[in-house]
Amino acid sequence: MASGIYALCALTAVLCAVLLLHAYARGGYRLLLWSGLCFVGLAINNLLLVLDKLVFPDQDLSVLRSGVALVAMLVLLYGLILDSE
Amino acid sequence: MNTLLMGAIAMASLVASMFFLRFWRRTGDRFFLWFALAFLIDALDRVFLGLHPPSEEQSPLFYGVRLLSFGLILVAIVSKNLRRRDKS
Repeated sequence: MASGIYALCALTAVLCAVLLLHAYARGGYRLLLWSGLCFVGLAINNLLLVLDKLVFPDQDLSVLRSGVALVAMLVLLYGLILDSE
Repeated sequence: MNTLLMGAIAMASLVASMFFLRFWRRTGDRFFLWFALAFLIDALDRVFLGLHPPSEEQSPLFYGVRLLSFGLILVAIVSKNLRRRDKS
């Protein structure tokens, strides 16, 4: 059950990143670029979750995972604050 | 350390949610409303993950909420694409 949820989280995050960046490539609306880059980071965060929980259960990657997610969110905030008008 | 990072992520998600809410109010485009809702749910999920690191039994619930949040982003993108296709 848990492994399926982790894998689905990673899969949906990858799908969001691909769709957002694809939409940016078609329309050139920059908010889509920042959102897409944010989801690239969140996809890495969730892939690390899969590695942490399923592949290397003896190691704690939580700080690395959270650090990646924070960088991803800061990228989105940068876009929202400085490049969204 | 991880709790600190979770708090920062939650705040960033909340601020992003407020921005998307403002865009929705300005444009009336539901795309932004889905995003606002998704990031609000993500912020709440991160707060709970930070406060109560889940046990193995509980973690599907917490990460299921994250899955819901990402699902809303997918709904936003797909519904936007469908509306664009209907117009053309």
